[in-house]
Parts: sequence; structure tokens; C-alpha cells
Amino acid sequence: MKFNGQRDLLTKSLVVLLALPALLLPLACLLYIVWRGLPGLSLDFVFSSGEGAGFGHSSGIVGQLWGSLLLALGACVAALPLALGIAIYERLLASTGQRRVLASVVAMLQGIPPIVFGLFGLVLFVHALDWGVSLVSGALILAIVVLPTLVMTMIAALQRIPIEHTEAARSLGLTEGQLLRRVWLPQAWHGLVTGVLLGMARALSETAPILFTATVFSGVVWPDSIFAPVTTLQTHIFYLAQEGGSEAATQVAWSSAVVLIALVALFALLAHVIQKWRPLHEA
Amino acid sequence: MKPEPNVTPCVVADQISESQALPLALQVRDLSLTIDGQSLLRDVTLNVPLRGVTTLIGPSGAGKSSLLRCLNRLHENWQGEVAIDGVNVRQWPGGVDVLRRHAGLIGQKPCVFPTTIAANVMFGLPRLQRKRRAVLEQCLRQAALWDEVKDRLQSPAMSLSLGQQQRLCIARALAVQPKLLMLDEPTASLDPRSKQLIEQTMCELAQTIPVICVTHDLDQAQRLGGQVVFMCDGKVIEAATCASFFNSPQRIESREFLRWSVCDC
Repeated sequence: MKFNGQRDLLTKSLVVLLALPALLLPLACLLYIVWRGLPGLSLDFVFSSGEGAGFGHSSGIVGQLWGSLLLALGACVAALPLALGIAIYERLLASTGQRRVLASVVAMLQGIPPIVFGLFGLVLFVHALDWGVSLVSGALILAIVVLPTLVMTMIAALQRIPIEHTEAARSLGLTEGQLLRRVWLPQAWHGLVTGVLLGMARALSETAPILFTATVFSGVVWPDSIFAPVTTLQTHIFYLAQEGGSEAATQVAWSSAVVLIALVALFALLAHVIQKWRPLHEA
Repeated sequence: MKPEPNVTPCVVADQISESQALPLALQVRDLSLTIDGQSLLRDVTLNVPLRGVTTLIGPSGAGKSSLLRCLNRLHENWQGEVAIDGVNVRQWPGGVDVLRRHAGLIGQKPCVFPTTIAANVMFGLPRLQRKRRAVLEQCLRQAALWDEVKDRLQSPAMSLSLGQQQRLCIARALAVQPKLLMLDEPTASLDPRSKQLIEQTMCELAQTIPVICVTHDLDQAQRLGGQVVFMCDGKVIEAATCASFFNSPQRIESREFLRWSVCDC
């Protein structure tokens, strides 16, 4: 027994040792960014625009904030019907073989480097369709990037509905449309909203796909139309970080990074809260 | 070891002993079902009279639940012929949804939707009919649940006990006015009081519509009376009136099952 106890302890210690770097490294990274970014943060920094004064070196980031949010929202709005349709097809109509193929395609889509999507967007939306570097081009490319996340979370949300509920509804003579409207969507909406929020968080984390398709360095607070370019927090950090020599630019980059991380964390946290929330009659 | 009935058989039992004289509500001919290479039903042939209880008994894996799921086409890939009220279920007028309203199925595990008690009862009805309180009351009374829930119809259905939830499922199935009711082990894992209430409900319903009930409980099969169908290994071994089956089973497999609750066919 003693031998077994020692062996268990050794196994646990080994597992903890292996897991520790995976936890500590991102935490250290996060703390470092917050430590570097906090000195430059203020309400004025976050909510003022400065209309591109000093090419972003000293001005506020409200334009970039709007740009990031608009792109993420646009991407999720564009991807949502498609993702929901795929998820419903997967649960309602697909055979086992089709499900396997779909899972492989989704996994493959998720594995494609985002810069490749950016290149595709540049060729198709910017040049071929002549939409230019614009909000719509960026949002559509980001929609493709977040599609696998949305599809997977939505399939998972529909999978969590007990099979007994589906069969009970079918046994009452509900059509597939009624089943969807009256059983699946009311029960899965937490998961669906969670999927959208996680998709927003994912879209906010992407830089490469929008670099060629949607953004300019500065000078835009609110785009005039969906065919106008935007500025975003992601690309703002990217451009400023390239100007390594300027202390002011570096500080703005660190502070923007803190805001971006806070935004991603906010969406992820909101997704978590909604996932856990249950209406009273479900308790 | 032959089980003795400990409750008076339901009222229709004696009437159903003459069930062969009644017209048929359900006719099953040579029904076979294979899923993932496994044969679940083999050439099942079965008649169900217009009124009364038909009890499906047999060991686990005999195909009793699969048979019910074929009848309302929750399983689709079967071979053979199934006719309800003389109409082939594959060519049911209005489609499979109308068939399922005609032949209601209640599962083994009470399954209430995450909404109120009232909304659960009316769940299968079209939107305009969902507000009819008279229908709500009638269905809950038929399911012997009205007195227990009449003061809390807007409470969550999840707050009911398992026995009450199962009776709620019966009320919900009755709301769509089925002409045939199928129950898959409706009293499994319920307390004796709930079991008694559900049996009573089934017996009352059986006076007007055919009720098919799957059960593992031989005492219950005797209490329900009517017709007993003994299944094993996907086949119907014996179908007879309740008294005849329990008093003088014709097949050796039936006698073994009644004696030892096992079947080696």
C-alpha cells in the first residue's frame, strides 16, 4: 500500500511538472503585457480618437476599437447562418459517413494558416470583386476563419440536447421544422450564443487575414460605408511594434494590447456566464 | 414460481379475453429490422384489437422497444408490413408526423420539456389550441394528475416527481388525441403509488383505444390483462390472452420464461 501511495504521488508530481509550464508561461506573458501596458492606459486613451494625430503614436484608440468590434461582429453575423445551417444538417440529416467527412473538413479549415485566408481575400474580394481594402472584405474573410469555431460550438450545443427530448417531440408528431423551433433552438440557445461570443473572441485575435483586406494604419474612426477600410487594434499593435525605435509608439502598442486582451477576455467570460446560465423553469 | 396477481385486473381484461372477435387496430406482418448488421426483429407478426391492453413481455434485448419504434416509424429501415386501422403506415395520409399523432409513443424515461406543466401538456398541439384550459384539464384528469398539479400549472415541469413526470408525459400524449397509445416500460423505476396510478390510467384508456405496453414486470402484465405477447430474440414466441398465457402457456420457451425469467431460444 505504501509503495502504491508513493507511486501515485510520483505520478501526480510528474503530471503537475508537465502541466505547470503550460499554465505559467501564458500567465507570465499576460502579466508582462499588463505590466508594460498599464502605464499608458487611461479613459482618454481608450475613448478618444485624436483623428490619427502622430500616426497613432500618442492619440487614443477608439477608432481601432470600433474597427476591431465591427470586423468581429460582421464576421460572426456573416458566419452565423452558415454555421447554424451546417450544425443543424449535421445533427438532423447527415449520415455517419457524412458526419465524419464534415468533422474532417472543419478540422482542416481550422488548420489552415489565417494568412492564407488573407491572401485568398486579397485576390477574391479586394481585386476580383473590386471591393477594395474594406470592412466587408475583412469581415467575410474573418467569417471563414471563425466558421469552424462556430460550427463546432453549435454542433456541441445541439448534441447536448437529450435524445429523449427529440424523440418525445417526434412522437408527438412535430415536424422537423417544429422540432427545430420548439425544442432544439430554445434548449440550445445558450450554446449558440456562446459559440457566437467565442467566434467574436477568435475574430478579435486574428491579424493576418485582415492585414491585406480590411485595414489601414490610421485616419479612420468610423468607416463611411462597408466598402471603406477600418483601423483595428490588432493591426495597430502590429504597425506600432514595427517602429521599434520609438518609445511612445511602443507604449501605445503595449497599452493597445492590454485593451485587446481585455476585450477577448470579456467575450470569453460572457460566453462562460451564458453557458452556465439556466432559466428558472429549467432548474 | 408463476407470478400471482396482487391487484385486481383492470376492468377491460375480461372483455379483451374475447379480443380476437374485435376488429383489428394494428396488424404487423413479417416485420424485420436490422441495425448496424444486428438483427433486432425477425418476421414479427402481430395483431392488436381495437380496444384493450396488449402487453409485450420478454427478456432484455427481445426487440420489444424496437417494435414500438417501428410502429410509429421512429425506426424507418424495416421490412414487412404494418397497418394501423387498415392503413399502411408507410403510405400514411399526411405523412409520418400525422401518423405519430395517431399512434402516440411514451418512452421509458419520463421526458418533460424544460418549460411549465401546462406548456408540456399542450406541447404537441397547434399554437391556437394551446390555450384551451378544458383540454388541459381533461388530459391531466385522464392521466390522474389533475388533483396534484391544478394549483401549480405554471410551475416548472422539472419540479414534479418522476412518477408525476411520467403521468405528465401520458397527459401530453393524450392531448394530441392518439387513436393508439404505446408505452415503453412506463412504470420502470417508479414508486408503487405512481405505478398503480399509471396502470389505472392505462386500463381506463384501454376501454376506448388500444394500448400497447412494454413491461418486464410479469405481475403488471397480469394486472393489465388483455393480450400478452411474449417476445424473445427479435421474434414473437407466443401471443395469447392474459389468462391463457399465464395459466397454460403453449410454448416451452414461454413456460421457461414464466418459471425462471430467462429465455433460451
